[in-house]
Amino acid sequence: MHGIKRARLTEEEREARRRRELSKIDEFTKLSDATLARKKERDWSRDAFDLTTLLLQINPEFYTIWNYRRLILLNGLFVNVPAELVKDILLDELGMTMSALKAHPKVYWIWNHRRWCLEQIPYGPGQESESHYAGWKQTAWDRELTVAEKMLDVDARNFHAWGYRRYVLDSMPNPRPESNELIYTARKIEANFSNFSAWHQRSKALASLWTQGKLDESKSREDEFELLRNAMYTDPNDQSVWIYHRWLVGTESSREILEREIVAIQELLDEQPDSKWCLESISYYKRLLLNKYTSEVDVNVLSEEIRSLLDRLETLDPARQRRYQDLRKRKRVGTDLQQKNW
Amino acid sequence: MTTVTKPNLATDKLLTDLHVKYIQNLGENKDDLMYHLTAHLRLNAIYWGLTALCVLGRPDALNREEMIEFVMSCWDEEAGGFGAHPDHDAHIHPTLSAIQILIMQNALDRMDVDRVVKFIVSLQQPSGVFAGDRWGETDTRFLYCAVNGLSLLGRLDEMNKDKAVEYIQRCRNYDGGFGSSVGAESHAAQVFVCVAALTILDRLDVVDVDTLGWWLSERQLPNGGLNGRPEKLEDVCYSFWVLSALSILNKVPWIDAEMLSSFILSAQDPEGGGIADRPGDMVDVFHTLFGVAGLSILGYPGLVDLDPVYCMPATFIGARGLRKGWQALSRRQA
Ligand SMILES: [Zn+2]
Repeated sequence: MHGIKRARLTEEEREARRRRELSKIDEFTKLSDATLARKKERDWSRDAFDLTTLLLQINPEFYTIWNYRRLILLNGLFVNVPAELVKDILLDELGMTMSALKAHPKVYWIWNHRRWCLEQIPYGPGQESESHYAGWKQTAWDRELTVAEKMLDVDARNFHAWGYRRYVLDSMPNPRPESNELIYTARKIEANFSNFSAWHQRSKALASLWTQGKLDESKSREDEFELLRNAMYTDPNDQSVWIYHRWLVGTESSREILEREIVAIQELLDEQPDSKWCLESISYYKRLLLNKYTSEVDVNVLSEEIRSLLDRLETLDPARQRRYQDLRKRKRVGTDLQQKNW
Repeated sequence: MTTVTKPNLATDKLLTDLHVKYIQNLGENKDDLMYHLTAHLRLNAIYWGLTALCVLGRPDALNREEMIEFVMSCWDEEAGGFGAHPDHDAHIHPTLSAIQILIMQNALDRMDVDRVVKFIVSLQQPSGVFAGDRWGETDTRFLYCAVNGLSLLGRLDEMNKDKAVEYIQRCRNYDGGFGSSVGAESHAAQVFVCVAALTILDRLDVVDVDTLGWWLSERQLPNGGLNGRPEKLEDVCYSFWVLSALSILNKVPWIDAEMLSSFILSAQDPEGGGIADRPGDMVDVFHTLFGVAGLSILGYPGLVDLDPVYCMPATFIGARGLRKGWQALSRRQA
C-alpha cells in the first residue's frame, strides 16, 4: 500500500467500520464466487461478461477476471458477429479501461487489457487493396497517444503511461515522425525541469535520430547544451539535469567539449560554492579527461584537482563519503571509468 | 473519523515481537475488506510474510502444514503453474512464490517440478524476455521470476540464457540502470531484477559497476530513505531494491547505513506492528518484508542473513550451492 495514512481508531470506530465493511465484503465475495464459478463452467455469455464488469469496477487488480473477460470476448461475444460489431465492442472496452485508469492510474492489469484490446481491433471496412482498409485500426491507435498524454498531464512521472506511450509510438499503423518526440519532451521539460522521465525519453529520441542520420548530431548536441545551461541555473540541485548532462557529454566527447563544459560548470560553482552536483560533475568530467586524454594533459595537476574536489564532496555530502573515498583511493583517480559505450 | 492522539511510542529499535504478531494475524483479518481485495496477491503475501519471519528469526511462527496445503490449493491444473489463490489463473509471479515457500518449508517434493519448469520455460519470448502468463505481458520482472525459479529448481539450462542476457542488455540505460522493457527509464526495482538475474546467470560483466553504483547511491535522500528514480519520494520498499543491487555490486557502504536504518525503523507501526512505505502510513506485509530485508543487509543486530539475489534466507540458498559473491554489511552486536 502506498501513501495511505495510518488512522488511529478507537474501539467504537473500529467496530463501526467493521460493520460498514461487512456488507461490502459480503457483496464482493458473492460476486467473486459467482464469477469464478461461471469461469469454471466456461460460460462465455453476455451475463457473465457483465459480472466481470461489476467485479472489475470494485477490484481492477483481479487479474484472473481480466483474463476471463478476454476469454468471454474471444469465445463468446466475438463469435459469428460482423467485424464492425467486434470493433464497437472493443471501443467500448477502451472506454471502460479509460475510466478504470482514471481511478487507478498505476494498475498494470488495466494497461495490459487496453493493449490487448487495441491489438484486437479488426481491419476494415472493405478490401485489403483499398486505402481505408486499416482505417479502424488507425483511428483507434491515433487516439491512444492522446490517452497516454492525458495520463501524463495528471502525473508526469507515471512510468506506466510513459511505457504505454512508447509502445503506441512503436506499434501504431500510422507512425509519427520521431522528431515529434523532441517537441513533446521539450514541453514536458519546460513545465518541470525535474521530470527525469521526459529527459530520459528525449535522450532516447535524440540518439535514435542521430543514428538514423535524421538530425545533425553536432548541431543538435549544442542545442541541448544550451537547454541544459538554462536548466542548471534554474535549479542547480536537480539531479535530472545533471544526469542528462552526463549522457550528453557521453564518453566519446572531444577534449574541447569536456574542457568547455568544465569551465561552464565552474562558473556556476563560483556562484553556488556549495553545489554538490557542480562538484560531482566537474570531478567526473576531469576524471574522464584524465582517462581519455592522458598523454595530452598534466596528469599530476589534474589528479590533484580531482582529489581536492573529492575531498570537498566528502565534507559536503557525508552520506556518500565512502564513494568519494573509494574514488580517491584508486591507484590513479581516473580509472573508475570503464568507457562503456551505449 | 477522529484520530486518537497517539502515545509517543519509540521506533528507534526493531519491534520484532510486534512484527511477528502482525504477520501471524494477517490470516485472521477476514473482517477487513482489504483482506478480500488482495486475494490476487495471497500467495505472494505468504512468501513475503514467511521470508520476513525467517529474517526475524521466527521461521516457525506460521503453521507449516496449513501453509503447504494452501500453496498446493493454488495449483492451476490447466496451465501447469500456480495462481495467487485457489481458482485464480496461473502466473509466473505467484509460481515463483510457490517455489520459494515450498523450499523454505522443505516441501518441494509436493510440487510437480517438471510441469512447473515447462510452464516457466514456455513463457520465454523470441526476444529473450519472459511473459507473465499466456496473455503475453512482458517485463524484466518476469524474466527475473523465471531465472530465479528455474535456478532454485536446478533447471536453468532449460531456458535460453544468452537470449535473456541479450534482452537485459538492451534494457540498460546510460545512467547504468535498467528499465522494465527496451527504452524504459531506469527504475530501482527493475535494476534489482536485472542485476539479480544477471548474477544468477553469472553475467555481471554486463553491468557498469561504477556508473550504476553512483546512480544507486544517489537514491538516498536527506531523510535517509531511498527513492526509486531521480527526483521522486522515498519509500521503504526501495530500501531493498536499491540495497540488494548495491550488495551485489559490493557497494553498500556508498550510502549512509545508519540514516537508512533509522528511516526504515521510523516507518514501523509501534502499536500494531508491521512496516509502512513511509512513517505514519498504513503498514502492509510487502513493506514489512522489504523493510526487514533492508535492515538485514545493513547488518542490523539479531536478524538472520538474507540472500539479496534470491530474496530468501541465505542458508537455503547456500544449501543449494547457489550463493553468489554479494556482500552485506557485517552483522552488528546488539
Ligand atoms: Zn513501496
